[in-house]
Amino acid sequence: MSRATMNIAAARVASPRLSHLSWLLLALALAVGFGLPGVVASVLVLTLLTQAVIGGMLAVGVGFLIRQNGVVSFGHAAWYGVSAYCLGLLLRHDVLSVELALVLALAVPTLTAFLLGLVIVRVPGVAFSMLTLAIGQAFHEFAMKAQGVTNGDDGFAIPLPDTLFGLPISTVQQPETMFVLCWSLLALVVFGLYVTVRSPFGRLTEAIRENEERARFIGYRTVLPRAATYAISAFVAALAGLLFALYNGFVSPEVLHWSLSGSALIMAVIGGSRLLWGPALGAVIFFFLKDLAGNMTEHWPAMIGATVIVVTVLMPAGIAGTLAELFERLRKAGGRA
Amino acid sequence: MTGSAYAIEGTALTRPYGGFLAVNKVDIAVPHGEIRGLIGPNGAGKSTLIDVLSGRAAVWSGQVRMDGRDIGALGAQERRRQGMARSFQKTNIFPELSVREQLDIAARKAEKPNVEEVMDELGLSELGAARARDIAYGEQRRLDLALALIGRPRVLLLDEPAAGLSMRESLGLATLLRDLAQRWKVTVLLVEHDMEVVFSICDRITVLQLGRVLAEGTPDEIRRSADVVTAYLGSAA
Ligand SMILES: Nc1ncnc2c1ncn2[C@@H]1O[C@H](COP(=O)(O)OP(=O)(O)O)[C@@H](O)[C@H]1O
Ligand SMILES: [Mg+2]
Repeated sequence: MSRATMNIAAARVASPRLSHLSWLLLALALAVGFGLPGVVASVLVLTLLTQAVIGGMLAVGVGFLIRQNGVVSFGHAAWYGVSAYCLGLLLRHDVLSVELALVLALAVPTLTAFLLGLVIVRVPGVAFSMLTLAIGQAFHEFAMKAQGVTNGDDGFAIPLPDTLFGLPISTVQQPETMFVLCWSLLALVVFGLYVTVRSPFGRLTEAIRENEERARFIGYRTVLPRAATYAISAFVAALAGLLFALYNGFVSPEVLHWSLSGSALIMAVIGGSRLLWGPALGAVIFFFLKDLAGNMTEHWPAMIGATVIVVTVLMPAGIAGTLAELFERLRKAGGRA
Repeated sequence: MTGSAYAIEGTALTRPYGGFLAVNKVDIAVPHGEIRGLIGPNGAGKSTLIDVLSGRAAVWSGQVRMDGRDIGALGAQERRRQGMARSFQKTNIFPELSVREQLDIAARKAEKPNVEEVMDELGLSELGAARARDIAYGEQRRLDLALALIGRPRVLLLDEPAAGLSMRESLGLATLLRDLAQRWKVTVLLVEHDMEVVFSICDRITVLQLGRVLAEGTPDEIRRSADVVTAYLGSAA
C-alpha cells in the first residue's frame, strides 16, 4: 500500500465530504490491481495473493465490527460460509439464474445477521464474542449433519455456468483475472466502508461504541445502529465467501469452521483495525507467513502465534496503525522543518 | 403543555439495590419553572432518585410523570424526546470525539439545534476541535452539561454538575444555571453538595436521608429545620 493511502485512512476528518484525494487513492488502488498480474509473473504468488485478498476481505469485515461497534466476532466464518453454501445450493438445484443466486447469496447472510444482530448486540464484551462463536458453530454443525442438503463433511462441487455476467467462467477461476476482480472489489469495499464511517451514521455508531449510555441519554436508540453495523460487517464477510466459492468451485463445512473465524481475527489483529484496510494488510502478511513457514515446518501456526504476540506487544495499533502513526510523525516533522 | 402543575413528578418511588432500599417511597413534585435543590448526606439516594426519574434505573414501584403523563415505561432516549435531559455525577461524555462533534450528534436529535448557543453559554466555543479526553476536567464537566442542554430541554436533572470544580467555578456555574433556567423556562432538579450554591439559586429544597424524604421547603425553612441541621448540615459543618 502506498504512503498516501495511509494518510487518508488515518485522517479523522469530521466533514462527511470526500476529498479529491480519496477518489484519487481509489483510482490508484484499482490501477495497482489491474497492473499487478503483469508484474507478478509467478502464478503461485498470484494464487497466494488471490487467497490473501479474499481472506483479507473477511478480515476487513471483522475489523470493521471492532472499529465501529467495539466488539470482537469469533464467528464471522458463519456469514462467509452461509454465502458460499447459498450460492452452491442454489446452483446445485438450478432454481435461479446465477446472477440472482449471487444476489441472494449476499442478501441471505446479511439479513440473517441483521436480525440476529438485533438480539446479540445487546450482549456486552466477551459474552458477545462467545455468542458469535456459538452461532458460527451452529451453522457448521448444520452443514456437517444435514447430509441430505449439504452432503455433510465431504461438501460438494458447485455446478458453475459457462458464463457469468457475459464473461467466461474462467475469469473467476484463473488467478490472473480473479486476482484483479477480488482486489478491485476489496478496494471498493474499503472505499465504501470509508464513506460509511464518515457519514452521520458512522459517526453515530462511533459515539455509541464510545459511550452507549450517554448516546441513549442524548436521544438515540442504540440497538438498531449497532445491528446495522453488524450486518454491514457480515455483508463484507459474505462477499468474501462468495468470491471464495466462485474461485474454488467447491464448498465444504470448512468455510464455516471457527478456525477460519479465528484466522480472520488474527489478520485483523496483525494489521490493526483502526484503519479500515489494516486487516487486509494483516491478511497478506498472514498468508505469506503461512506459506513461508509452512514450507519449512509443520508448526506454522506457532510462527503465526509468535507474530501475533510480537505485534500486540510492540504495536497495539497493529502494523497498519503503527505505519500510519509513523507516517503522521514524519509528516509533522517535515512540516516543521 | 398539559394541565398538570408539575413538570416532573415522582410518587412513592422505590428502588432497591440488593436488600437495601436506596430510594424508599419518595414523593417529589417540581412545578414548572422551579429550580429544586436535592440535598442529603452521601449515600442518601440522590443519584438513585435522578436515575429513576431519568430512566437510567428501572422503577421498582411508584410512578414517574412528566407534565402529568406517566413516563415510567419510556426508555432514556424517549424521555429525552419528551424534553427531559440530565447530566451525570461521574463525567459521562464521548472521550474520543471532538467537543463540537459530540454536540453536533446530540443536536441531530433536537427539534431546534442550538450548538453554537450552548457552546457559547458554557464557554466551550474555543474548544470545538479539541478531543474531549484532552480538555481540562472543568471543561469536561461543562461538556457533560452541554450535552444535556442541546435542544433546550424543558426538564433538567443535574447530578452534582459542579463536582470537583473550584469554589469560583461552582459559583459561576450556579449563576449560569439560574440565568439559563429563567431565560429558557427550564424546570431544574439539582443535586449539589455545596450549601452556598443550593441556598443561593434554588426556589425550594428537598432533603433526602437513607432513601427517604426528610424535609422539603424554601431555603430559609430548610436552614431553620432542626431535623436537617442534625441529619446533614450539622454533620457537614
Ligand atoms: N448501581 C448500584 N448498585 C448497588 N448499590 C447502589 C448502586 N447505586 C447506588 N447504590 C447504593 O444506593 C445508595 C444510594 O446511593 P446514591 O443514590 O448514589 O446516593 P447519593 O447520590 O445520595 O450519594 C448507596 O448506599 C449506594 O451504595
Ligand atoms: Mg450521588
